[in-house]
Amino acid sequence: MLEVAHLSVQYGRHRAVDNVGLTVGAGEIVVVLGANGAGKSSVLKAVAGLQRPGTGTRVTLGGRELVGLPAHTIVEAGLALVPEGRGIFGELTVRENLLLGAFARRARADEDRNRARVLALFPRLAERLEQTARTMSGGEQQMVAIGRALMSAPEFLLLDEPSLGLSPLLCGELFRALERIRGDGISVLLVEQNAKRSLAIADRGYLIENGRVVGAGRAADLARDPAVQRAYLGGTRQG
Amino acid sequence: MLLEVTLSGVTLGGMYALVAMGLTLQYGVARIMNLSYGELLIAAAFAALWFYSGLALSPLLGLLVVPPLAFALSYAIYRILLQPLVRRAKTRDALEVDSILATFGLLFVIQGVMLAVFGGAYYSYSFLSIPLNIAGATVAANRLLALVLAVVIGLGLYLALTRTRLGTAVRAVAVDPVAAQLVAIDVRTASALAFALGGALVAAAGVLVSMFLTFNANLGVVFTLKALVVVIMGGVGNLLGALIAGLILGLVENYVAVFIDPGLTLAATYAIFLIVLLVRPQGLLGRSSR
Repeated sequence: MLEVAHLSVQYGRHRAVDNVGLTVGAGEIVVVLGANGAGKSSVLKAVAGLQRPGTGTRVTLGGRELVGLPAHTIVEAGLALVPEGRGIFGELTVRENLLLGAFARRARADEDRNRARVLALFPRLAERLEQTARTMSGGEQQMVAIGRALMSAPEFLLLDEPSLGLSPLLCGELFRALERIRGDGISVLLVEQNAKRSLAIADRGYLIENGRVVGAGRAADLARDPAVQRAYLGGTRQG
Repeated sequence: MLLEVTLSGVTLGGMYALVAMGLTLQYGVARIMNLSYGELLIAAAFAALWFYSGLALSPLLGLLVVPPLAFALSYAIYRILLQPLVRRAKTRDALEVDSILATFGLLFVIQGVMLAVFGGAYYSYSFLSIPLNIAGATVAANRLLALVLAVVIGLGLYLALTRTRLGTAVRAVAVDPVAAQLVAIDVRTASALAFALGGALVAAAGVLVSMFLTFNANLGVVFTLKALVVVIMGGVGNLLGALIAGLILGLVENYVAVFIDPGLTLAATYAIFLIVLLVRPQGLLGRSSR
C-alpha cells in the first residue's frame, strides 16, 4: 500500500500542492485527474523524491517512510516513476535503457524474467533493441520509458501523463498495456488529462484542482458524475 | 622520414586522446570544467621520474601505482572541494562557472608546490631509449611502448564504458542526471567516481609522457588546453570523437613542426580548432543539439 498524507509542495512563494492525501492499494490502478498546472506532476515528483515536499508530508510504502530519501533509494524501495517528458536516455540504445532499468539491486534477481515480460508487452522494442532511443517515435519512446521503469521490478509504477502527444490508436495500446501491468501484480498511479480513457481502466480516481484534492471515488462513479463529465470529459465529446 | 614523423605524431596523438578521454569523464559526467587537469599529468610525470631516478624502479611500475593514487586524490578533491559547489549550484551552468573558478585556484596550488620542489627546470630520464627499426623508419622503443599502453588503456576504458552496466550508468549520468536517479543510480557517487577516473587517466598519461618527453612544472596548462581543444573538437562527451581528434592533433602538430616550422605548432593546433568550430560547431562526432 502506498499512502500519501498532508503532501504539500512549494515553489518559492507559490504553493503548487496543498495538503493532498491519496492511497494506492496493491493491484490497483489509481488515476489523478486535473487540468494543466493543477499540481499533478508535483505530487508524483514529491513521492518519487525528485522534489522536496513541505514539512508534515508523509509518504509511506508498505509502512516505510519515503520522505527525505534520495530518489535513487526510493527506486530500491519498489517505486518507479515514468516522468513527464518520459526521461529516457536519448543518446543510448533501447537495450542500454532497459539494462539501466535493472540497475537497482532489487531488480537483478528477476532481470531476465522482467526483460522477457517487457518485450512481450511491447514487441516493438524487441525489434529495435539496437536503435538509439531519441530516433524513435513518441509512442515507441513511451514504451522504452515504461519498459525501463518495469525493469526495476517495482511494486508501484507512477506515470506522469503517459498519453500526452500520442495518437488515439497508440493511446488505446498504452492503456491496454497498463491493464496488463496491473495483471502482473504491479500497482499503478497515473496522473492524466485524458479522463475518459484513464477512468475506463482505473479502479479509483482523485480530482485535483489548484493543488487540492476536490473529489475522489470509484472510477466508474466518477465517469458517471455530471460534474466530472463537465470538467474533465468535455461534456458529450467522445474520445 | 614521413613514416617516422607519422609514428611520432600518432604517439603524441594517443597521449592527447587519453588525456581528452579523462577530461570528457570529468566534464561530461561530473560536469566539472577542471582547469587544474593538466597539473595532475605533470605531477604524475614527476612521480614517474622519482620512481625511476630516485627509487630505481621502472616507470611501468609507476603506471601501476601512480594512477590509483591520482584516483584517490581526485576522489578526495571532488568530495571535499567540489561537492559543496555541486550542492549549492542551482543549475548545471552555475556549477560550470563555479568549478572553473575553483579549479583555476587549484591549478596554482598544485603548480606552486611543484615549482617549489622542482623549480622551473626541464626534466627527463632515459628509459628504453633504444632505436627500433619499423619498415625503414627509426622509432624509440619508449615511444612505441607509450603508444601501445595508451591504446590498451583507452580501449579498456572504452569497452568498460560501453559494454558494462556500470559503465553504461556512468554515460547515463552524462546524458540525463535526473533520469539517472530514477533508475536507482546514485548520481553524486557516480560523479565522484567519474571525476576520480578522469584523474587516474590523466595520471596514466603523465607517466607515459614522461617516458619520452621532457617536461617542467609549468607545462600542465599546455596539456589542459590541448585536452580542451581535443574534447571540443571531438564533440563534448564523445569518447570516440576524443580519440579521433587527439590523433588528428598529434599528427598535424608533428607534420607542421617537421615539414614547415616548429614555431607554428601551436598556430596549427588552433587553426584546426577554429576550422572545426566553424564547420562543425558540435564537434566531429557531436550531436547538433545536445
